[in-house]
Amino acid sequence: MKWMKKDLEQFVEEKAYIDTLFIPVIPVATSSDDKVVSSGFQLELNELFSRIIEEQFKGRIVLAPSFYYMDEKVEGEKDRLNEWIDAFSRQPFNHVFLFSFDRSWRKVEGELNGELLWFPGLRNGDLQSTETQSFVKEQAKEIIEIIKDSWKS
Amino acid sequence: MSEPKKVSRRQFLNYTLTGLGGFMAAGMVAPMVRFAIDPVFKPSAAGEFVSVADVEELSNEPQRFEWEIEQVDAWYESKVQKTAWVYRSENDEIVALSPVCTHLGCTVDWAASEEYPNQFFCPCHAGRYTKDGVNVPGTPPTAPLPKYETKVEEGMLYLGEAIAR
Repeated sequence: MKWMKKDLEQFVEEKAYIDTLFIPVIPVATSSDDKVVSSGFQLELNELFSRIIEEQFKGRIVLAPSFYYMDEKVEGEKDRLNEWIDAFSRQPFNHVFLFSFDRSWRKVEGELNGELLWFPGLRNGDLQSTETQSFVKEQAKEIIEIIKDSWKS
Repeated sequence: MSEPKKVSRRQFLNYTLTGLGGFMAAGMVAPMVRFAIDPVFKPSAAGEFVSVADVEELSNEPQRFEWEIEQVDAWYESKVQKTAWVYRSENDEIVALSPVCTHLGCTVDWAASEEYPNQFFCPCHAGRYTKDGVNVPGTPPTAPLPKYETKVEEGMLYLGEAIAR
């Protein structure tokens, strides 16, 4: 389910079946021109994955609006992210996934109120290229398996 | 200081003619290439038949095929990825099923559950469908998987609209 009126209307009716929240966690950079461009690419790549996951598991996952933050100060953002997650727990979500390419989250993984899905993304590239597409497809399969496994346990 | 390189009249003509020749050749070949691959890559609007696969590729085992269509709503024009599970049935009919679970819209997989190797399986709530797409009673889905309209032309399989059953 996307965070859109039509999908959420269905979510509200079918809550019993929809127990998983998927939050894209996306850094924004402004410190240099290169970083600006590359942060745009990271954002697109993250959204692409999130869309694939949402499509695969539409009937059980709600794709939350992305959590954005300035890339320089992850430390201070940890609490804000946790607050964000806690706010969603007013709805019956048993599983919360955080999806990010930002390595800094791994250091605080244990202190987050959700399961971090992290893997090194691509530094730069072209989303239309066949190389990127096959990378995305392969990695998406991995994520799909991780999510299925966590439902079983 | 090195002298600036001079281009002789002969070299100049050589460059110009090679360039021009290449350009003309490209002009002739490009439309032919386009013509050859066009039916496969041309995105088409919703509701139209789209060529999806070579009929030769199909077997008794459902296979996944993907293609893109252009979808227009009031604000956006966007490319949407479509998927179908396609196989040849026992009576040699081509069957193309939508992978969208009729329960809440997850994507179903063929033979994804070890216990039910000959059924479509939905990973979200363990919904199941037999090979012909009919939902198995007692699992969450309440309707069969939609079936795409199919037609075969010149060895290519074309799929149209997915029809709910």
